[in-house]
Amino acid sequence: MTAYLLRRLGTSIIVLIGISIFIFLLLHAIFPSPARVELGLRANQAQVNAWNLQHGFDRPVIEQYLSYINGLLHGNLGYSYADNQTVAALFAERLARSIYLSGISLLFAILIALPLGIFQAVKRNSLGDNVATSAAFILYSMPSFFLGIILIQVFAISFPIFSFEASQSTSIWVVMGDWNAMFLPILTLTLLTVANFSRYMRSSSIDVLAQDYIKVARAKGLPERLVLMRHMVRNASLPMITLIGLFLPALLAGNLIVETLFNYQGLGLLFYNSLSKEDYPVLLAYTLIGAVFVVLGNLVADIALTVADPRIRLA
Amino acid sequence: MTRFGKKRIGGLALAVATLTALAACSSSSSSSSTTTTPGVTTQPGSIGGIPAAGTPSGTAGSITFGFAPNDSPNWILPITNAADNSVYNTFDFGWQLWRPLYYTFDGSTPTVDQTLSVADPPVWSNGDKTVSITLKPWKWSNGQTLSSKDLEFTFDETKAAVKASPANWADYTPGYFPDTIASMSTPSASTLVVNLTKSVNPTFLEEDIINNGIMPAAWAKDSANGPTLDFTNPANAAKIFSFLNAQSKSLSTYATNPLWQDVYGPYKLSSYNATTGAFTMVPNPSYSGPHVTPMSDFVGVPFTSDAAQFNAIKAGSIDISVVPPEDAPEISTLKALGYNYFGLPSYGDYFVTYNFSDKTGDFNNIVAQLYFRQAMQHLEDQAGQIKAYLNGDGSPGYTAIAVYPQTSFLPASAATNPYPFSVSDAISILKANGWNVVPNGTDTCAKPGTGAGECGAGIPAGTKLAFNDIYNTVSPYTQEDEDLASDAKQAGIEITLSGSNFNYIIQNYNDAASPANDSKWALEDFGGYSFSTYPTAFGVFNTGGSGQLGDYSSPQADALINASVSSPNPSAVTNELSYYETNLPVLWQPVRDHIYAWKTNISSSDPSALENLTQYAATPEFWYLTK
Repeated sequence: MTAYLLRRLGTSIIVLIGISIFIFLLLHAIFPSPARVELGLRANQAQVNAWNLQHGFDRPVIEQYLSYINGLLHGNLGYSYADNQTVAALFAERLARSIYLSGISLLFAILIALPLGIFQAVKRNSLGDNVATSAAFILYSMPSFFLGIILIQVFAISFPIFSFEASQSTSIWVVMGDWNAMFLPILTLTLLTVANFSRYMRSSSIDVLAQDYIKVARAKGLPERLVLMRHMVRNASLPMITLIGLFLPALLAGNLIVETLFNYQGLGLLFYNSLSKEDYPVLLAYTLIGAVFVVLGNLVADIALTVADPRIRLA
Repeated sequence: MTRFGKKRIGGLALAVATLTALAACSSSSSSSSTTTTPGVTTQPGSIGGIPAAGTPSGTAGSITFGFAPNDSPNWILPITNAADNSVYNTFDFGWQLWRPLYYTFDGSTPTVDQTLSVADPPVWSNGDKTVSITLKPWKWSNGQTLSSKDLEFTFDETKAAVKASPANWADYTPGYFPDTIASMSTPSASTLVVNLTKSVNPTFLEEDIINNGIMPAAWAKDSANGPTLDFTNPANAAKIFSFLNAQSKSLSTYATNPLWQDVYGPYKLSSYNATTGAFTMVPNPSYSGPHVTPMSDFVGVPFTSDAAQFNAIKAGSIDISVVPPEDAPEISTLKALGYNYFGLPSYGDYFVTYNFSDKTGDFNNIVAQLYFRQAMQHLEDQAGQIKAYLNGDGSPGYTAIAVYPQTSFLPASAATNPYPFSVSDAISILKANGWNVVPNGTDTCAKPGTGAGECGAGIPAGTKLAFNDIYNTVSPYTQEDEDLASDAKQAGIEITLSGSNFNYIIQNYNDAASPANDSKWALEDFGGYSFSTYPTAFGVFNTGGSGQLGDYSSPQADALINASVSSPNPSAVTNELSYYETNLPVLWQPVRDHIYAWKTNISSSDPSALENLTQYAATPEFWYLTK
């Protein structure tokens, strides 16, 4: 296991360096300097030159990259010239909010989707299965923006039960406690994720139910509850572990659409705004940290698989 | 809406409403507000209306003000750098704390409002090379009177700022103010005399350049607890600016830094959220200017999207907010939601830029012909586009400022369309100048040459009227450019459309910034510019101007612009605007209304204090809650 982890670590570092070079060059190829965007069209050349000098955009790209990496190695993610704050501060302000929104939605989705998928597999082609399948298809095909708008219109404006926007508090504890404000954004994300996960869980469960060991268990007279709990659930959940692992980067990415729709300042929105402002330091840091989460998510999924399935060995 | 250029706040001429009872009455304003329906104020070209002032509740509350996405404030120092220069940082945030020397816009009328200005009208002498500025006896929040030393300090720090970096002050152009300051003196505690090295148009300097807030001379330190320095020493001024600039970059301390509590504007900052830009301002008890009593708190509320902002309006959770352009078709529902609304275009223009350097298909030679630009302008259906794509909420524009809001600077001839939409007129012009016109086909030059009735210099026989147009892929530019291409096709002009995003356009289809792409675009539509109350296109249409993308160059335009910024002639800028109307440096397009909504339980002591919202201004000291 240790050797495996070390190998994965080494591979990950190479991947991260590659990503950083790729993103850096890509950004600079498209926009060699964001000065015009930052300063406005009417900024004169003297102002543009001064700004480029101040932010290092007058130097060769390779020099800019090495300078950036040097800063990273010293724990400096850079300074956002669009938001007048360090990138670290921008992330710190939003990270907890994004993790909470994405995390709680993911948790609810797992708690709902896994039993639902199993139920659908066991009651395959029943009325309940068909209803759940139809609902999943509708939700799966529905853009999150559209679903959010419908929920806001119905539950916040036509029938003002919940708040039309997420909590505006700067305290994550207040945000977590403000269920009235957080209900609709969490519900939007949860429904969309449930639609996704439940289909995977249903398919996986159907596959497992067709396996010989399930038939043997039933032939031996094992009660159906035990057949399902002991022999089906664990095996059917294996693909879900991989799937959930791939969802971990979403904790960082936040959920742009839901954040914009529900007036919630999170990391997804930060990335989007930085993109429109060509705020390179934020974009680079975001992409790199996102890559770290992807690598970590996969690693966690791999390790979790070995725990769930003793047949799998990491080597 | 993508518009560039610093929008300056409009001034208000509002009488002091010192008593609650008075707040219900319209003040003795010099505002040009007009009333067409009894009790409801409108303006020519406006939509909606401002009802008569309501009966004050007599109690102060909090009035929430919605900032559009990405518009929440993130800069506080009165010397605003180019990167952070926005109407939101300046007008809606900074000017609540430090009012400008000359408060431009009176309601929606582009003119200085002396009532809200910190200084009396300047006195010019010495051939417009010397200006004497006398401050009104307004008070700082510590009780001291504003002094000429404060103003001298502000100008000295501005000099230090641009010396450190030209990007440190958004309004800076090398060779102009503050480079032109020869000397300053303070003959009295309230008067500053500034001697300039060269003459300047007084209106240009007053309204376009020196309308920043004033900084207290008490800020003349290079650290929080350091000694007061002699700011007239350039070395000290540089250190002071460096310190102040760094403080302004510390967003998390905006509400706690003692520096930013030294104010003379109507409000003091009591909270600021560095993550969102949300803030709360409380009334400044020392404010010396006009206001209602009691004043309510002014609460800035940011939004992450237009949808979130309009949801807040629909839910009735925001008191005053801009109506997102995409939701303009729903303004008829605002009344039922408990809101009033008023809309006018902000002062400025929209246009399609011609590329005078595009050699592809000899387009540079084609566009150099005035008759071609006239034909193109005939193909621009402004009235139809306002109706079809702007929900009827817009103003036509035939020069660098639109027809509305009305201003005395607009040439009389530019109030009506000199080139009304007419495909047949466009065809006639092209035929009269040697083109073989093929409606719905492609026109070709049939008579090359430079004589009368010939295509013009550098246009060989067989040259096609076929070129490209790169447009900003947001509404209404997409629809407007498609409409233009469709109408042009009827006249045999083939316009190939391609969409791009704003950032990409201004960086890559910009002859000055990307000369390698000079011949890759013929037309582009990035949006337009906002103007201050003095609508010179200095920097936009002068040869080599930083704000022009298509290498337009006209000696006559250069001379007129120079007159607008340097000569004392008050008609100079009108002459300049008149030239653009006929010379067509760009293809003029209609300008969209800027619509604001406010709850029906909010009123103002003068309609100007709600009208000015359309010009990005906010004067919350005149808003109050009604019974």
